[in-house]
Amino acid sequence: MISRRSIIVAVTAVLLGLATSSLALASEADPKAFVSHLATTAMETMTAKGIPDADRSKRFRTLFTTDVDMHEIGKLVLGRHWRTASPEQQQEFLKSFEDVVVLTWATRFKDYGGDLRHVVTGSAADGERGITVDSKVERDKQQPIALQWKLRPAESSFKVVDLVVEGASMMVTYRSEYAAVIQANGGKLEGLLSALRTKIAELQSGQPTTKTN
Amino acid sequence: MTANRANRWTVSRLVAPVLALALVAGCATPPPADDKEAVAEWEQVNDPLEPMNRAVFDFNRFADDYAIRPAAEGYRTVMPKFGRERIHNILSNLNSPLIFANDVLQGEADRAVQTFFRAMMNSTFGLAGFIDVATAAGIPGHEEDFGQTLAVWGVGEGPYLMLPIFGPSNPRDTVGLVAEFFADPFDIAMGSIGKEYISYTRAGMSGLDKREGLIETLDEIQRTSLDYYASLRSLYRQHRASEIKNGRGGGEKVPSPGLVGQIKGDELSQSAQ
Repeated sequence: MISRRSIIVAVTAVLLGLATSSLALASEADPKAFVSHLATTAMETMTAKGIPDADRSKRFRTLFTTDVDMHEIGKLVLGRHWRTASPEQQQEFLKSFEDVVVLTWATRFKDYGGDLRHVVTGSAADGERGITVDSKVERDKQQPIALQWKLRPAESSFKVVDLVVEGASMMVTYRSEYAAVIQANGGKLEGLLSALRTKIAELQSGQPTTKTN
Repeated sequence: MTANRANRWTVSRLVAPVLALALVAGCATPPPADDKEAVAEWEQVNDPLEPMNRAVFDFNRFADDYAIRPAAEGYRTVMPKFGRERIHNILSNLNSPLIFANDVLQGEADRAVQTFFRAMMNSTFGLAGFIDVATAAGIPGHEEDFGQTLAVWGVGEGPYLMLPIFGPSNPRDTVGLVAEFFADPFDIAMGSIGKEYISYTRAGMSGLDKREGLIETLDEIQRTSLDYYASLRSLYRQHRASEIKNGRGGGEKVPSPGLVGQIKGDELSQSAQ
C-alpha cells in the first residue's frame, strides 16, 4: 500500500522534525519531508501559546527567510512593474512585502483552539525543475483544508515559491491585489509602496508588543 | 407557487435600488490596446464592471457590518458549538438532493453514489441529518452547485459580478443560483403544503451558518489586505476554478511558479522588441 507507506513516512518525518531539526535537515533532500518539517514548524510557531507576538514574528521571519524564496515571490508578485521599478524601489518593495507576509501569517492561527494536523499526501514534478507537494490540514469536525506547495530546488534543500490554499495561489492573490492598488494610484508603484507602509504600521500597532524590527 | 413569487418579489425589491445606484457608477475603462501587458492584466482580472461591482461591494460591506456579521456573531453567542454543528449537518443534508442532481448532471458517478448514500444514512440513522454518521463511516461530503455544472458543460464564467448580499459571483453562477432557487425539491415540497416559512427559515439559517463559519477568515483578509475587494475577487475566482475541477488537477490553470517560464518568456520577447 503506497498511500499507507507515504503516510507513515510523512508521520515519521513530522516526528523527526519535532524531535530535532538537525535530524530533519538530513532528510531534506526529500520534498515531502521538507514540507512536513516546514509546515510543522510553521504551525507550532503560529499556535504556540504564551509567547509575545514580537517573538512569534521574529521566529516566523527566520523560517520565511530560510525556507521561502521571498525574492523570487516578490518579483513574481510585482510582475511587469518589477522591470520598470528602480533598484531602490525593488529593495523597498521586497522588504515591505516580507514584513506584510510575516505580519499576516505569524498570527493567523494564533487563536485557533482546536487541533490542527498537517498530512502530506503526495508529490509530483512540476515543469522542468519545480516540485509540487500536496498536503492537507485536518481540523476537528470540519472539512480538511487542501494545500499545495510549489517548491524549487535550492542548494542541498528546497525553497517554497508558492502556497496554493484550496485552489487559491497566494502568489497570484498578492499579485492581483497589488496590481489593483498600483492601478488605483495611476499606475505608480510609489502608490503601492506607500500603501504597504501604512498597512505595516497598522498591522504592527494592532500588536502592542511588537517593536519595529 | 406563491412562495417563489413572493421570494422573487422580495429579492427584486431589494436588488433594484442597489443595481440602479451601481449602474450610475458604470464601467471601467480598458487600457490602451498598444500596452500589451496592461491588456493581458485587464483580461486576466476579468472585471470590466469594476466601478459598479465596487459600489455593490460597498453596499454589501455596510449591510455586513451592521446586520449580517452581528447576526452571525449573535448566532455564535447564543448557540453552543454542538448546536451549530447539528444545524450545519441538517442544512447540509437538505442540500443533498441538489448536490446529487448536479453530481449526475456532471457525469460524476462515484460522487453521485457518495451523495446518495450519505443522504440515505444521515436521513435515517443520522436522524434527519442531525448527526453526520456518513462522514464517520468514511463517506465524506462535498459541495456541488448548478453554476459548476454549467461550467462542466462548457459555459464560460463571463465577467466578474458582485451580487448584492450574495457577494462574489459571475453571470454563469448567478444563473446557477437562480435555477437552484426554483428547483430545490425541499422548498417546492414546503411550498406545496403551504409551509413556506420553513423554506425562509432554512434560507436564513443557511446564511447564518455560512457567515458564522467565515467570521475569522473574512476578518483576517480584511485586516491584512491593502485592497479587500481585489483580494476577495482573486481568491473567489481561483477557488471557484478549483471547485469546478473538484480539486483535481491541482493548480495547473492557476498561474503560479509553473508560469515562471512564461513570465521569463515575456521578458525575453520584451527585450527582443
